[in-house]
Amino acid sequence: MLTAQIRKERRSAGAPSFVLDVSLEVSPGITILFGPSGAGKSTLLDCIAGLAHPDTGRMVAGGEVLFDSAAGIDLPAQKRRIAYVFQTLALFPHLTAEENVAYGLSALNESRRRKRVGEILSAFHVQDLRKKKPGEISGGEKQRIALARSLVTEPRVLLLDEPLTGLDAKLKSAIVDDLRAWNAANRIPILYVTHSREEVDALGERVIAIDNGHVVSAGTPMDVLDAPRRKRLAQAAGFENLLEGTVLDLRETDGVMRVRLENTACEIEVPLGFAAAGDRVRVAIRAGDILLATEQPRGLSARNIIEGRIASLEPRGTMVIARVDCGVPFSVHVTPGAVRALELAAGRRVWLVMKTHSCHLVE
Amino acid sequence: MTNQKSVWLRLLKLPSLLTVLLLAQGGVRGQGKEVRIAAAADLKFAMEELAGQFEKQTGTKVDVTYGSSGNFFSQLQNGAPFDLFFSADIDYPKKLEAAGLAEPGTLYEYAVGRIVIWTPADAKVDVVKEGWRALLDERVQKIAIANPEHAPYGRAAVGAMQKAGIYDQVKAKLVYGENISQAAQFVQSGNAQAGIIALSLAILPPMNDGKRWGIPAELHAPIVQGAIVLRNAKNKGTALAFLEFVKSDAGRALLSKYGFAASRKK
Amino acid sequence: MDALWLSMKLAACVATILLLLGMPVAYWLAYSNWRGKFLLESVVALPLVLPPTVLGFYALVAMGPRGPLGKLWIALFGHGLAFTFAGLILASVLYSFPFAVQPLIASFESVDRKLLDASAVLGAGSLRTFWRVILPLSLPGVVTAIVLSFAHTLGEFGVVLMVGGNLAGVTRTVSIDIFDRVQSLEYGEANRMALLLLMISFAVLSVVYAVNRRVWTPWAAKS
Repeated sequence: MLTAQIRKERRSAGAPSFVLDVSLEVSPGITILFGPSGAGKSTLLDCIAGLAHPDTGRMVAGGEVLFDSAAGIDLPAQKRRIAYVFQTLALFPHLTAEENVAYGLSALNESRRRKRVGEILSAFHVQDLRKKKPGEISGGEKQRIALARSLVTEPRVLLLDEPLTGLDAKLKSAIVDDLRAWNAANRIPILYVTHSREEVDALGERVIAIDNGHVVSAGTPMDVLDAPRRKRLAQAAGFENLLEGTVLDLRETDGVMRVRLENTACEIEVPLGFAAAGDRVRVAIRAGDILLATEQPRGLSARNIIEGRIASLEPRGTMVIARVDCGVPFSVHVTPGAVRALELAAGRRVWLVMKTHSCHLVE
Repeated sequence: MTNQKSVWLRLLKLPSLLTVLLLAQGGVRGQGKEVRIAAAADLKFAMEELAGQFEKQTGTKVDVTYGSSGNFFSQLQNGAPFDLFFSADIDYPKKLEAAGLAEPGTLYEYAVGRIVIWTPADAKVDVVKEGWRALLDERVQKIAIANPEHAPYGRAAVGAMQKAGIYDQVKAKLVYGENISQAAQFVQSGNAQAGIIALSLAILPPMNDGKRWGIPAELHAPIVQGAIVLRNAKNKGTALAFLEFVKSDAGRALLSKYGFAASRKK
Repeated sequence: MDALWLSMKLAACVATILLLLGMPVAYWLAYSNWRGKFLLESVVALPLVLPPTVLGFYALVAMGPRGPLGKLWIALFGHGLAFTFAGLILASVLYSFPFAVQPLIASFESVDRKLLDASAVLGAGSLRTFWRVILPLSLPGVVTAIVLSFAHTLGEFGVVLMVGGNLAGVTRTVSIDIFDRVQSLEYGEANRMALLLLMISFAVLSVVYAVNRRVWTPWAAKS
């Protein structure tokens, strides 16, 4: 179990000061720390590991107090037994894989060290690489060795700072499986930092969302990411459309409100939120949640139907991004098959269809 | 040869004075109102006064560079732009003359150097009382002299010690300065407890408040100091005029004041 | 030849001492974040711009019986520090200090800081981190420091002149000897020794550039 309540202020000349002020509890298992760049995730990890020092607060891991500003306790990084895998992995380039992994085991005698190293290399399927130097090892396997190096020391907590960036999905999931397997046998809290939506979905146990130095929400991936409260989070979580608008009126009994989109006559219906008529709000809609029609649709349950014109069609792998101008720009995802069947082209008049509950209010 | 030279030099006095006066009016071709002199280190104070007086009398700017005579010799062989060379060892000007680099007939023995044993005022041994025996004292751990391999004062020091019969006993204590100035520096800074240096150095500040014992001249070969005008001097006229001034009674008195014994020749 | 052997001995002693002294200084300058660090950096670089005779002069005064160093030495050993091999070593160490320290600093700084963090997190203290991570990765800088201090001391003249006293076999280094020969008009001998010194220095420098794949300039102080 890891608990941390810390506050750290970073002042730099010319830039407004950044304050990290968080309180969190991480139980054994994988917990994701999700947030946009600059949210403070790496700083938080550095504080937990002892590489950075909070101004005030308290951190406890595995029953031992790591940091307590009131009591004047600040355990140096060397003594915390907290494993930390950096984004760059920081494998020692002049040592072999085996020597890298053995680095944290200097307290053990030769034979025990060799045994432990051998076991963990096998657990992560990299025994054949033991005599190779990091320069001779490809990505994917480097990550495994970095993980092995950290975990062989039997740490209390494992911190991972975007460790799988740059790897393809198949490799990622293989490594994650090995990590999970290890975690099943060694129940420690693992804090996994990422700004990638896909990784959250893939790992998805618990998510703590952090933005601008504060914890914004915590819970299951669904809770946290499907209803993002903040714009930056929304963008990070894959809401391609972020629209500004003004609240026209509230309909409490229906549980909705009507919003007029800025600079247009378009009105849409969104779920009821904490706002009053006349307030300015921001609405987030996923491009994949919007339907395209080439004729004005009738008899649909969807409450939001907006007319517009296709500005451009951009193929992107297995889908096409249609940019539609309705007075305000929208991004819509359609399949190539749909483009062909409907004979979509730039300049074509279309109607966009959105369900009320596909529209989310964000700050 | 000597007689002819003396007569000729005496004859030159009047015309030289006239030349100097003419030069002072700055009308003669190719001769500026300055003279560049290379002088042995031990001449520093003497030369400054000589130069000062000459400048006042004639308005000629005197530019003196001090250094080791051996150094100057090498430089002059390679065309260093000096007009006059005052060497601590007449051997060098002689060699220049032999090599055809000097103005014929200008070789002049301007002084005979004298050496002394010198210690700081607060030294534990008393040179004035002990003379040579001071060097044998065990409290004198290091004795500084100029390097005998190329400094005439160094050679004289070694010669005198040998003649006095103490050289073998003090040999191990000797340390060698680049020139007598550096030897003096070694003693002055306290790193050597005693030194054999030029009298001309010892009578001037800051050395003059130390203790010194004059080494009898007959114990060493004379340190004949000679001067010469260079053949490709740019300011030959002024150089000759300056040399004349040095030879004059006024010049000789000045040199003697600074510890340079009069030359054996007149 | 006596003088050459003496010079080599001096250069070797100085290079060794500078390595031992220079590493802690370079470590501190590379990794600390003290505000007044630039002052220490300037002091370290001073011998690069000071004329050797100035350094030698102050060394001579300091070594004398009135100077702090001289007093200590006399108390310990009964005789002065000037005109001794030890005195030369001291003066040379001061004179060649930046030639050892600056390449060390450059090398230490080029080590990825994340590696140092990783080492700390894995439980290694500063000393162990230095020994197992920083030093192996700074080897080119260490070699450069050793070789440059060696070469610089080999060619030293001004400082040795000021404090050496030109004693054969003790303080008459090859550069002094060459100078003496010139003074004594023995040009042939001077030439011979100078050529020998030139060849050795060239060989030594070639080693530096062969070992280091990156070109390193001694004047690149930390910005």
